[in-house]
Amino acid sequence: MKNVVRRAGWAAVLTAAALVAGACGGGGGGGGEGQKASRFSVALTEPDHLTPGATSSSYSITVLQAIFEPLVEIDPKTGKPVMLAAESITSTDQKVWTIKIKPGQKFHNGEPVTAESFADAWNATAYAPNGWTNNYYFENVVGYEDLNPEEEGAKPKADKLSGLKVVDPNTLEVTLKAPFSQFPIMLAYTGFAPMPKAAFADLKAYDVKPIGNGPFMLDGEWQRNRLIKTKAFKEYGGPRKPKSEGIDFKIYASRDTAYVDLRANKVDLLTTIPAANVSEAKGLLGDRFVSTPGGTMDYLGFPVYDKRYAKPELRKAISMAIDREGIVQAVFNGTYKPMGSLVPPLVPGYREGICGEACKFDPAKAKQLFDQAGGFTGTLNLYFSNADPSYEQWMQAVANQLTQNLGIKDIKFRKIPAADYLKTLREHKQDGPYRNNWVMDYPSPQNYLESMWGAGNRMGWENKEFQELIEKANSAPSMEASIPLYQQAEDLAIKEMPMAPLWNWQDQAGYSKNIENVTIDAYSANLDQITVKK
Amino acid sequence: MVEAIAAPPTGEVEPISQRGSLWQDAWHQLRRRVTFWLSALILTVAVAMAVFPGLFTSLGPNEGCNVRRARVRPSDAAIFGFDNQGCEYWSQVVYGARPSILIGLAVTVFSLLIAIVLGLLAGYYGGWVDGLISRLTDIFFGIPFVLGATVVLIAFPERGIWAMTLVLVLLGWTTMTRIMRGQVLAVKDTDYVRAARGLGAGDLRIMRKHILPNAIAPVFIVAMLNVGNVISGEATLDYLGVGLQFPEVSWGLQLNVARSFFFEFPHLLIFPGLFLTATVLSFLMLGDVVRDALDPKLR
Repeated sequence: MKNVVRRAGWAAVLTAAALVAGACGGGGGGGGEGQKASRFSVALTEPDHLTPGATSSSYSITVLQAIFEPLVEIDPKTGKPVMLAAESITSTDQKVWTIKIKPGQKFHNGEPVTAESFADAWNATAYAPNGWTNNYYFENVVGYEDLNPEEEGAKPKADKLSGLKVVDPNTLEVTLKAPFSQFPIMLAYTGFAPMPKAAFADLKAYDVKPIGNGPFMLDGEWQRNRLIKTKAFKEYGGPRKPKSEGIDFKIYASRDTAYVDLRANKVDLLTTIPAANVSEAKGLLGDRFVSTPGGTMDYLGFPVYDKRYAKPELRKAISMAIDREGIVQAVFNGTYKPMGSLVPPLVPGYREGICGEACKFDPAKAKQLFDQAGGFTGTLNLYFSNADPSYEQWMQAVANQLTQNLGIKDIKFRKIPAADYLKTLREHKQDGPYRNNWVMDYPSPQNYLESMWGAGNRMGWENKEFQELIEKANSAPSMEASIPLYQQAEDLAIKEMPMAPLWNWQDQAGYSKNIENVTIDAYSANLDQITVKK
Repeated sequence: MVEAIAAPPTGEVEPISQRGSLWQDAWHQLRRRVTFWLSALILTVAVAMAVFPGLFTSLGPNEGCNVRRARVRPSDAAIFGFDNQGCEYWSQVVYGARPSILIGLAVTVFSLLIAIVLGLLAGYYGGWVDGLISRLTDIFFGIPFVLGATVVLIAFPERGIWAMTLVLVLLGWTTMTRIMRGQVLAVKDTDYVRAARGLGAGDLRIMRKHILPNAIAPVFIVAMLNVGNVISGEATLDYLGVGLQFPEVSWGLQLNVARSFFFEFPHLLIFPGLFLTATVLSFLMLGDVVRDALDPKLR
């Protein structure tokens, strides 16, 4: 009897050991191949799309940067473009740009990457009926109007931008309507990535299994709300050769759960540690906690089309009633930077505190301005998405401050499901101040000012002078010459205050014990550089 | 009821003639129990907080907050410290009592009413009425609490106290209805009911005068125990983020915020947790002693 018991005991120990070994393999990502695969996992929340032209979500971009090779990338030290898929991008008049593409590059399905791959992708993005988010990036290309008719729903005259000319398989000529000095920098954005011919057979299928030209390729379809599995692309010949065998992008419902998994080494990289957990993470992760100044900004937008918010004085009063410093300390543990300008410090042409008193916390002045503007009637609804618990926390502080400093008693929350949030804003369904967030596409003031305050903005703000200044800046002969003009436009947007700057993110990332060589910069998480510990 | 037995005769043994109804007996039992007085005391304080928060704090809900004091630990100036928004935690915790107690009592009262009506009908008439009500009860009984509540609450973009009450009633009336039905079935065939019927009493009169008073006690006990469960259920939904939302103040919401800061700022979790636990426990204890008092078999 005793013997039997002992044997059973041993069997249990062996089983346990086998289980532990299995668990380790699983943690590495691969499992089943006998040897531990050098894979690692990255935590995400659900991206909206994976077609480069159709998404501007930061979570999608993290994936797209791994599976696509854009024409250029940005050197984090200088903010200048470095060639990736392109050999050179040149122009004599800043209007007609010649893009030479490095020969011999391949898509994951074996198709060669040519000038046409870029032209096809860009045409599809610019084609209004596709309804892709990055459509407006092509406004400045000749022929954009023919693809985007004035009336909604009308059939466009053309489906190709006349300003895109494929000169030969390796040369693409882009003709812009007006000179645009920031063009090469803009091309670093994943929205300008190429697409293979195979994509256009079935764009819906492509969205869940995109074929790119980057260092990693999809391994099976995107499993919605669960996983995007990738493996290293063997035929990749560019400078970002992967140092691992693949990445599992694990999709979490919230960053909170992702953080819990990171703490348990169940996920290897989380680039967005929730602010509430930052001080804990610093202590727990030690030098595996990385903080990088980012290009991401939070703003409070006003529905200018709503009569109650039509006066700039009222909007300024609200801006001045918000204690940015206090919120940053309380909600973000002091890790974000309260902002007194519309562009972050990372961007050329940044001027500290240019917003002046309109972005400084001054309850007495705010109240005075508020009363002058005639006060506020009805319910003040605050809009934000449910993607992250910190939004609710800082909105609560804003609500308390508006009640206390301006005497607005009736404040309600409108917490919108993350997937519907941007749609709500685009359709101008918000009738109160809303959280607006901008993740930098490329380091130029133009990227912030024109994208958010330009034509068709979410606030419904229209200003001819601003528009003209942006146009003038865009046509400036050089990047340097454009800066003062962008600054003038910024001054105007501050004066009218259709959207108040709040704070600039510092990206708080953390990684597990399983990986090393993590080099995160403001433009990319550089996933290709990461190695898995043996 | 209380007045009726306010002056019991001196001496420990009560004369038989002084023995009153079941409820009077129960009161005699109750007032000898320490647990009863303890829970009654806690509940009096909690109810006072819910009804007259002004007695306990001079601030309003979410008033006088300053984020620069966020999460400051308890001190002499603020005995409970400050919450995540820099509001004085003591007054926030006081205001947290109202939704909990209001919802706890409202849900129980409404569920009890539904249970009495449906249980009486099902038990008394039997047949297809019973079949219909019993199957309906089964269906609602089968809905898992958190899942059912989440699905229904998502439909209310403005989830206030009444939406919460509705959801909790919807998911909470079943147990009491079953017990009520069982009681009615047991009482229906007693001699006094037959006698009443023989004397020509109508259905309504029999139900009201003879069945209800004799069937209600066990349901009443379950209802008392239920208040505590409802309060913790409400806090659970708040905690999960599908319950009340700002500008409402509730213990569940406070616990929700506190969970991220538990290690560094335990006071955020401890105070609302303590109040919630004390209130729920008091309702449960009260229910328990009332059961002891009402159930002759347990004496």
